[in-house]
Amino acid sequence: MRRILALLMTVAAVWLVVNLGGEAELARPTALTLGFALIAAALAGTLLERVGLPRVTGYLLFGMVCGPYILNVITRPMARELQIINGLAVVLIAFIAGLEMNFERMRPRLRSILQLCGVSMLVLYAGLFAALWIGWGWLGIGEMSGLQQLAVVALLTTILASFSPTVTIALIAESRASGPLSEMTLAVVILADLLLILLFTLVMQFVRYAFGTAGEVGLLISLLWEIFGSFAFGAAVGALFALYLRHVGRELPLALLAMCALIAGLKVPLHIEPLLAALAAGLVVENIAPPRGDMLREAAERGALPVLVLFFAAAGASLQLDALAVMGWVAAGLSATRMGLIWLSTRAGARYAGISAPVGSHVWMGLVSQAGVTLGLTLIVAGEYPSWGTTIQTLVVALIALHQLIGPVLFRAGLARAGEIGRMDTDVEDVSHAMLNPESAHP
Amino acid sequence: MIRERLARTTGLFHTRAALGLQPVTAPVILYIPLGILLGPAGIGVISIRVLGHLDAVISIALATLGLFIGIAATTEGGARKRLLLASTAEAGVTMVAVGASILVLLGLWGLPTALPPVIVALALGISASTSAAPSIEIGDERARRIAARVADLDDVLPILVGSVVIAMLGSAGMPPALGMLATIGIGLLVAVAGWLLLERSHGAERGVFVLGTIALLGGCAAYLQTSPLLSGLVAGWFWALTSGKTDRVVTHELRKVQHPLIVLLLVAAGAGLTPTMAGMWLFAPYVVFRVAGKLMGGWAASRIAPGIAPSDLGAYLIPPGVIGIAFALNLQQVAPGTASALIFAVALGAIASELLAVIVLPDSRPA
Repeated sequence: MRRILALLMTVAAVWLVVNLGGEAELARPTALTLGFALIAAALAGTLLERVGLPRVTGYLLFGMVCGPYILNVITRPMARELQIINGLAVVLIAFIAGLEMNFERMRPRLRSILQLCGVSMLVLYAGLFAALWIGWGWLGIGEMSGLQQLAVVALLTTILASFSPTVTIALIAESRASGPLSEMTLAVVILADLLLILLFTLVMQFVRYAFGTAGEVGLLISLLWEIFGSFAFGAAVGALFALYLRHVGRELPLALLAMCALIAGLKVPLHIEPLLAALAAGLVVENIAPPRGDMLREAAERGALPVLVLFFAAAGASLQLDALAVMGWVAAGLSATRMGLIWLSTRAGARYAGISAPVGSHVWMGLVSQAGVTLGLTLIVAGEYPSWGTTIQTLVVALIALHQLIGPVLFRAGLARAGEIGRMDTDVEDVSHAMLNPESAHP
Repeated sequence: MIRERLARTTGLFHTRAALGLQPVTAPVILYIPLGILLGPAGIGVISIRVLGHLDAVISIALATLGLFIGIAATTEGGARKRLLLASTAEAGVTMVAVGASILVLLGLWGLPTALPPVIVALALGISASTSAAPSIEIGDERARRIAARVADLDDVLPILVGSVVIAMLGSAGMPPALGMLATIGIGLLVAVAGWLLLERSHGAERGVFVLGTIALLGGCAAYLQTSPLLSGLVAGWFWALTSGKTDRVVTHELRKVQHPLIVLLLVAAGAGLTPTMAGMWLFAPYVVFRVAGKLMGGWAASRIAPGIAPSDLGAYLIPPGVIGIAFALNLQQVAPGTASALIFAVALGAIASELLAVIVLPDSRPA
């Protein structure tokens, strides 16, 4: 009751301010939007958690309902202002993911992870390609030559086969999950993301060839830099951060914020992929200084909650519901096909890698979400080929809207069935105990 | 001797208390020059676009400062009431002394300013009247303790008068009085919502609610183009006066972000500095008048709260802290492009005052 009253008062305050301030030229909505989103989205998340749904879905729903398409409490300029948190959020989330990956702990499972990922991606790509080729007429892209259709189908396959590392990591952090399913899903999503960047660049080159537009000189160099350069840069930042942790170890929130801002800010000037760079930074910290990395991860995950709330509220507010209205049925059909193929491909991959239930049977549930990376790729296509790229963009935006809502619910259900929710706290207690009592850890 | 002076100078980086809460390692002397270095006029790491993004952080930092002052200023007994009165007298005397002197000087010089001379004089008076509290430890003598409390509480009057100035310049097209009323009313509304949320929340969720509430307090004022310091002050007062633990919860949670916020505020102030002719002309008189004003104010306050020599109290109040700079930044937010001279004089004046304090600050601690 207190919370509902608080929520009503918050909404009333924002409504009053927006109406009193009007659309004044100097009105600065950023802090107002941040405050409103933090309180109201967090309350929505708590509310949904009580009925067994992920908090992330609550944040998304809050953004969607209060956003420009429904209630318009968060107006378009306010929704734009919320996006400024995105760059930092992606870096922080990827950094936490890096901190989760300790090679020493993962070594026994590395082979099965690679086998599962390889086979799953192969089956998924093949299945999606076949489905899109068969259903070409329903996509509304229009008439094309055989080669062009082949190229566009390959491109759309690559985009649809992408996952969302941010949603996966955020959900693991938010539900304090730990265990083989969390680790396996995270590894598959990250490996698939690397593969996606590589394949997308290659397929775009094929599309350019098919449509007679000149291929970029130095594409390979650019691609190599984007992958390996990002990793190298992130590793260097991570090594510096590990040194900072070891020799200074103070003002961690400020240092973490500065590191995230550095990686996010250098995206454009250095042409790096912030997600990969931050992941590498986290990996280096965790594997160079594991106990400190574990404690840092714990601190970062606890401190990351406001960032997660804002990131998903912003995503909800920017969900283009009009795209869903335009492409609703096609998107629903394609989404169902994609989910079916993800299920099938991971089953095949798990069988090949010898991974048993519950990991083998539930890993598909963590691969449904799609978000920023997918949208980014679609924007590139629409920018380069507006004639048919915009149709693809509308379709993919509709799919993202669906998968943003369905994906987190499914993944949380998977984590719950695998019994991994809340296990991170137990693990951290174990680590802390081992650090404080080394003799008890090594009798 | 040189070693002793050096130790006192470096001690500045560690011993300035922010509102009596905890030692702050981010004085103006370090972070404003860092901001100048990183800003568009320096190496450009903080570009104009980044400065634009920092605008929201400034609003949130302003609300946080207002909140701390609101909690610190809440009357707990007769002694505190007396100290509040003394602090208000000290701030009032300094404000009038600096404001009047600057106004006379502007009239004599005929210096062109983007804002009306009265507003410039008043704004400089407001910025000059704030002080940073010296850190206090167990065993410190009474005089130092009184000085710390006076410095803690002497920010209330500048915030209130400053809010009127900000409302006159901003208020999103509303009459200034309505702007002030809206800021107070909405500040109270958010404070009540925060109180409802924070009394029963725990863990990471509590941190989210505290941050959200502070952002909302800063954001409401920023949207209305009024003073986030005022909305924060109102909320701080409310939480400290109502039953429950909200004031302690907020203070505890904000300690985690207080230092980063103050650092960002000062770095942003440094990065946004634009040297102007008027600013350069105003800088030296501002420092001189402020020292004179603080000595006069210290004398007035020591009449109301005895236990400290008037000259000692004045000297303790010379370090300016961050509230004056925060007010100047707020002025820049509501009247962009017109407050450059003012913020230049205040920021450089703050550095000069901090350095001056190294020489004149009474060292009451036993060796």
